[in-house]
Amino acid sequence: MISMALFKRELKGSIKLLIIFCAIITLYVSVIIYMYDPQMMKTLDGFVEAMPELMASVGMKANAANLLGFMVSYLYGFILLIFPMIFCILRGNALIAKYVDNGSMALLAAAPIKRRTIAFTQMNVLVSGIFLLVLYSTIVELVCAEIGFPGELDITSLFLLNGGLLCLHLFIGSICFLSSCVFSDTKYSLAFGAGIPAFMYVLQMLANAGEDAEKIKYFTFFTLFHPDGMIAGDSSAAAGVLILFACAVVLYVLGIKVFERKDLYV
Amino acid sequence: MCVIKIENLVRDYGGGNGVFDVSFHVNKGEAFGFLGPNGAGKTTTIRHLMGFLKTQSGKCTIEGLDCWKEREMIQARLGYIPGEISFFEDMTGTEFLKFIAEYRKIDAQNRKEELLERFELNPKSRIKKMSKGMKQKLGIVAAFMHDPDILILDEPTSGLDPLMQSRFIRLIAEEKEHGKTVLMSSHMFEEVERTCDRIGIIQKGRMITVESAAALHERHTRSYTVALENETDAKAFAADFDGIQNGTNVTVTTKQSLEEIFMNYYGGSKND
Repeated sequence: MISMALFKRELKGSIKLLIIFCAIITLYVSVIIYMYDPQMMKTLDGFVEAMPELMASVGMKANAANLLGFMVSYLYGFILLIFPMIFCILRGNALIAKYVDNGSMALLAAAPIKRRTIAFTQMNVLVSGIFLLVLYSTIVELVCAEIGFPGELDITSLFLLNGGLLCLHLFIGSICFLSSCVFSDTKYSLAFGAGIPAFMYVLQMLANAGEDAEKIKYFTFFTLFHPDGMIAGDSSAAAGVLILFACAVVLYVLGIKVFERKDLYV
Repeated sequence: MCVIKIENLVRDYGGGNGVFDVSFHVNKGEAFGFLGPNGAGKTTTIRHLMGFLKTQSGKCTIEGLDCWKEREMIQARLGYIPGEISFFEDMTGTEFLKFIAEYRKIDAQNRKEELLERFELNPKSRIKKMSKGMKQKLGIVAAFMHDPDILILDEPTSGLDPLMQSRFIRLIAEEKEHGKTVLMSSHMFEEVERTCDRIGIIQKGRMITVESAAALHERHTRSYTVALENETDAKAFAADFDGIQNGTNVTVTTKQSLEEIFMNYYGGSKND
């Protein structure tokens, strides 16, 4: 139920972006992990003390207990959320809505290939891109941690944590994909596909920043991914991640159904 | 036997735009010309046949299969040239044709080479850098490459120079000889006149006539018989005006061009 010819072509289209984002992730992850140093910790904690709201808004808190806690504080609030999210937005929009908008979807639709297969193939392209990004992040984290601080990283917890991260990004990807399937105009596809996740992220920043604004966390799906809870093995954190995954599945299926039934003005 | 059949197709875009109660059919081995000015509803009708749009009411079938529900079964035997072709601009022509062959799961190397040669197209350059005519040729090759039985062509010769237009018309004639069914939309009378057996004219979303090309001609032909003073004059007159001489009488016929016929239906003046 997947068109290999299309999958190969689109994977090629993802590669450039993947390389760029992997490079950025490598840079940040290695730099942050090498900053894990009791001396440096004091400096960072100093920043947190000096401007707690700003640091907290990007998910950075003082006194991270161990290496993984440190990584959660400095990587899982911004870098590992934002860059895969941008990937989802760009690819999600390009896989369906762009082709419908510029008319080249006619080439794909005017062939003995079911629309369901077209949409399912494109979904797989997006999902495999997300998977590769999270997998690559995990590998870089492992390698950097083992080189810099052998034996200090709790590997099982890292896998759990990144499993959660994967679910979060699958969900973000599903929003972009659904919006790409619904709208025949890239303008609207981007407005919703990029707008919803970006708005939710801003809410998350607000919720992190101040005590008064903490209630905002009930209005953003980022709350469902709780890194500290994940490494602590919290069942509520696991439930949040499972909800994200289930919603992602629903939205992908919905996207495919919508594309199957929509009118194509191509 | 009907291959393409449209019955009472309605698609209302509001404001008088769309297609309203359009019905016609195309028989097996027939070339059908679908004429109309811009915005008359040709492309909308064709999109229904391609399974891109769902009918609001009415029915479209190809070989008895529903154009919306069973579109992928129809597509296996169908070749399509879109009215406005847009390709994957990042590819070269060669990559594109290879992709389409893989995507459709066909092996069409020989046919592809033959078509490329026929239209003198070198597909090696990037599609982004191709001229309109080259893109059109690439679209033609992609549509004919898998040797389809049914051809739906939306203004297929736009952008082609006259030499390539006549090569295209010859290609259609050959396909017809091989029993292929052709539906070709156009606003060019000449190419429809030269290729099609029957012609349907659409205006403002409504079919105003469907007739054989020959009947359209017949109906719009007028004859005059002129009596001249002597046989020498009659002979010269017949030679100059392409008439038939009979003693001192000469019969001349004038044909309205399809363009004039077309304008009659549209009720427009010839000058606009």
